[in-house]
Amino acid sequence: MVLVMGETGSGKSSLLRLINGLVPHHTGGILAGDISVDGISTRSVKPGSLAHLVGIVGQNPINGFVTDIVEEELAFTMEALNFPADVMRKRVEEVLDLLGLSALRNRSIASLSGGEQQRVAIGAALVMHPKVLVLDEPTSALDPIAAEEVLSILHRLVHDLSVTVIVAEHRLERVIQFVDRIIFIEGNGETSIGPAEEILKMSDLVPPIVKLARALNLHEIGTSVREVRRQTESIREGNYPDIPAISRSYETAIDISNVSYRYGEKIALNTVSTSIQQGEIVAIMGRNGAGKSTLLHSIVGLDSPHAGSISVNGMDPTKLKGEERRNAIGYVPQEPSDLLFASSVEEECAIADRSNNLTTGSTAALLNRLVPHISLHAHPNDLSEGQRLALVLSIVLSSNPDVLVLDEPTRGLDYRAKNLFSIALKEYASQFNRPVLLATHDVELVAELADRVLFLAEGEIVADGSTLDVLLSSPAFAPQVAKVMSPKPWLTVSDVVSAIEGKP
Amino acid sequence: MKQTLHPLTLWVGSILLAIGVVVLNNPFVALATVGAVGLLVYIRRDGSPWSASFSLSLRIGALILAIRTIVGILIGLPIPGRTLFSLPILHLPSWMPGIRIGGAVTLERLSSSLHEGVIIATLIALFGAATSLTSPHKLLRVTPSFIYEIGITLVIATSIFPQLAMSAKRIRTAQKLRGMEGAGLRTIALPLLEESLARSLQLAAAMDARGYGISKKRSRYRPQRWLMRDNFVVLTSLLLALVMVTR
Repeated sequence: MVLVMGETGSGKSSLLRLINGLVPHHTGGILAGDISVDGISTRSVKPGSLAHLVGIVGQNPINGFVTDIVEEELAFTMEALNFPADVMRKRVEEVLDLLGLSALRNRSIASLSGGEQQRVAIGAALVMHPKVLVLDEPTSALDPIAAEEVLSILHRLVHDLSVTVIVAEHRLERVIQFVDRIIFIEGNGETSIGPAEEILKMSDLVPPIVKLARALNLHEIGTSVREVRRQTESIREGNYPDIPAISRSYETAIDISNVSYRYGEKIALNTVSTSIQQGEIVAIMGRNGAGKSTLLHSIVGLDSPHAGSISVNGMDPTKLKGEERRNAIGYVPQEPSDLLFASSVEEECAIADRSNNLTTGSTAALLNRLVPHISLHAHPNDLSEGQRLALVLSIVLSSNPDVLVLDEPTRGLDYRAKNLFSIALKEYASQFNRPVLLATHDVELVAELADRVLFLAEGEIVADGSTLDVLLSSPAFAPQVAKVMSPKPWLTVSDVVSAIEGKP
Repeated sequence: MKQTLHPLTLWVGSILLAIGVVVLNNPFVALATVGAVGLLVYIRRDGSPWSASFSLSLRIGALILAIRTIVGILIGLPIPGRTLFSLPILHLPSWMPGIRIGGAVTLERLSSSLHEGVIIATLIALFGAATSLTSPHKLLRVTPSFIYEIGITLVIATSIFPQLAMSAKRIRTAQKLRGMEGAGLRTIALPLLEESLARSLQLAAAMDARGYGISKKRSRYRPQRWLMRDNFVVLTSLLLALVMVTR
């Protein structure tokens, strides 16, 4: 199992797509050197001729689906390669069982949640019993539990069926314990390949667990919680003063009372009531399909709830229009590019400037502060995920909204970009005393950023409390540092360091 | 889930009806056909992403009808008849004989322009109806793979229409979220086309990666059977088309 890591936009996806020949056969470009998979050079054959050898799962599975129904999707490659019907039936059943998709077999793919789609995409690659399985950010859309499931399936494939698995992933904390080797693509295009520990020692993109080891000056850096736990026993045994809780003023910004929402028969939100205070950063967590996005859609006024009401600073979000909307609610959707429609970065920024009556270049300046060196002439589709998020964020922030709402903002961001992003959000929340609401699966981000966590399950709020309480109460949602330091109530590396040094 | 027709059924039906409409060349029958097809689309709609393409095709049809009528009134040969009103005539150089811009607008001239516009709009509506009730993916699955290149082209061509409808909706939502309701067609036309094409190409790449067209023969996991109701739809439209052609 090989991990490909590197900053956003460093060429990980291109490397993965080289393996089955999609690059350059489908993208054009000049290829120097040669790649051979099981003795076949990708230069000489079309990607389709490698379909039985290489299974590829793209970053955004919905773009890779070629049929409408789960079963048909799984069978597609086998049909194309003319497999007999009984073999197809057997393999489809196998994969449905292996990935827990049996209940979904006749569902339309468009109606599945992100995590389910990801599993279907992996399944569609697995039915061919490929020798090589290539996955581009397989867990970025998944909740921690689903991600663990997928990764343990991959682990099993590697160990039991000796499949070669190549993954690109930003959330190293999820995959690092499973990988044998790392290919590290640095910003300047140089690559280094080696065993996980060796690469992590010199890299500056590291998971929290390695950061912790560095901060505590441990002899070895471990890749699993168990290894680091063994080395930190003495630290856990010490007595440290409690970190005093930060008190804040309570002024309601968003009030949600008894909100329900249904999709046909399915209840997405069931009498949800809560309120969000000014200046608070609230994370909404929960499994895929728990109703997080629906709640956010209701708050920003895209969907109007079937029962109950929402008010954002006293206004009804579904009735907002034009400038009023821009000033009231800033919303970054799950697919940030949904907000972009111009053909260059420069044009996007200019539209934002114009519509908010700002002096020309204000939005571009904001963008430059978030991510320097972005090419203003680039097409938004050609930007990396991180750059695109920054662009959308600066467009949204340019209208200086009273409330900021983000849906899964850190998909596809590396640690450095994520750090910049959290700083920007914290600044926004504290500087203007305005609330930030984000739905996310990223526990490390929540630990770093959020004051409060709402935990949704089946459309209901099942936990609502400070980040510390909620994250520590569930082992699946606990961040790495908390797992290492349990039972001490520390979530992040800086929590640990400040507690040890005795500073609040 | 509604029981589905064979993916080719509606395409065959639409093509037959289109032939009938063109041969018969009667705008009232054409409008009636659009009405009937519209009813069918309304009954069988399933909320799938591509079902928006029928209304999009109607809108495009209306636009073409309008343009055709205006152009027909302004440019063309004079058709004698009852004069409705007169436009000033633009004098063209002598090497462009037979073309006249402006002039008297007769009832006959207006009706013949409307007539042609309706026929064209009907063809587009028939195409839109077939797209909106047939999943492009399903259509692909019944396409024999020995016409591999044609298959991919076909998918790109048939998926771009529903793709356009979906993208238009998405971009509208985005503009609403950014508080830009006023933005018109001009601002979204280019990104719309760009995006639809990119998506269609992505689909083609995905199919390629999944071995489409590698084997000359293609097996069927769950064959889509040609059923009685497919016969019914095709035979009905064949009958209608025959009636239209022989009249």
